[in-house]
Amino acid sequence: MAPSLDLANLPDADVVTLAQQGREAAFRELLRRYERPVFSLIFRMVRDREISEDLAQDTFIKVLNHIDRYRPEFKLSSWLFKIANNVAIDHLRKRQLDTVSIDGSPHAATAAEVEATSFDLAARQESALDEMEARELGSAIEQAIARLRPEYRSCIMLRHVEGRSYEEIAATLDLPLGTVKTYIHRARHELREALERVKGPG
Amino acid sequence: MEHRHLLPDEIDQLLDGEAGFGVAPLQAHVENCPSCRAELAQARQVVSALERLPHFAPAPRFRERVMSQVQVFEPWHVSALDTVKQWIPASRPARAMALAATSVFALIVSVFAVWMAVRLDAFLFFFDLAGQRVRSAVFDSVGSAIANTFGSAAVEALRTGGMTAAVGISGFLILVVLAAFGLRALVATARRRRTS
Repeated sequence: MAPSLDLANLPDADVVTLAQQGREAAFRELLRRYERPVFSLIFRMVRDREISEDLAQDTFIKVLNHIDRYRPEFKLSSWLFKIANNVAIDHLRKRQLDTVSIDGSPHAATAAEVEATSFDLAARQESALDEMEARELGSAIEQAIARLRPEYRSCIMLRHVEGRSYEEIAATLDLPLGTVKTYIHRARHELREALERVKGPG
Repeated sequence: MEHRHLLPDEIDQLLDGEAGFGVAPLQAHVENCPSCRAELAQARQVVSALERLPHFAPAPRFRERVMSQVQVFEPWHVSALDTVKQWIPASRPARAMALAATSVFALIVSVFAVWMAVRLDAFLFFFDLAGQRVRSAVFDSVGSAIANTFGSAAVEALRTGGMTAAVGISGFLILVVLAAFGLRALVATARRRRTS
């Protein structure tokens, strides 16, 4: 790597071009720029640090190993967020399938066993979430975000945490513009109600 | 506009700071309507709470973990260019001096080459002489090594076999060395592919 290259001041498109030429420093620069936004998006979707790191890692590996397929008319960050959102949504769907057993173990023979297994699983998940929330996602707004539907969550975070326009969000998430506007409106409304409940009357 | 409160979409328009036709009457309404003003203020609180949310950082070894699984292929001309760039001084005066020194060196080499071309017969004579010296030195050292290892009969056999045997043996040795390096490179490539 040529030491004279000041990658930190280059726009994304130029850094991508250098990465396409096989410069390792350019790959590292892209990672440095986007590891936090991508990880944060996934973490707020999945709410589990270890899983979020694995999913963020998958996102970067997919993007960086296919950097030659990057189309300059599309923002790199939009491409990254698109893949990050997809891996997070896929994970949540799988987790939803797995948590069918929250209603009780499929091996439970009696009603008492069903009740016992469902209670254990729910309690375990809740305590893990409580601990995590206390540590990192403890604020009222974070808890309110956690209760949003996943598709609302990704839209509202891209809009207000990452500062993307409605059009960019629609392109990133492959959603019609009207749907994005509706999701963001509903998410804001739900968040407002949740925060008002936390504040209490008066 | 003054006879009704703002619709949710209209609140969103104000929240997003949209400009243009139709926004001015909404703003005018908000100024005169305490209920809509309060609603807009609450919505703005939510937005500002969202905008203040921090980015979380992954574990410190995250980048290394990702990079260990990213295939970086640097074409030869890029690495060659970088190697050349490393030798180019950073400051302008130093670059000018390096350019001047390189030019002088290139000039000397060119003049010498032209002189050699003009005096080609002399050059060939000296080249042949040097070649003979090197050849006899190599033969002497190789001969003494073979004589020490296999005895003087082997040296004699080699002499009677002439250059053909020497070339054959050297070629065989070179092929063995190249094959060993080739196999090693193949194994290394296969291992890299397996780990990536």
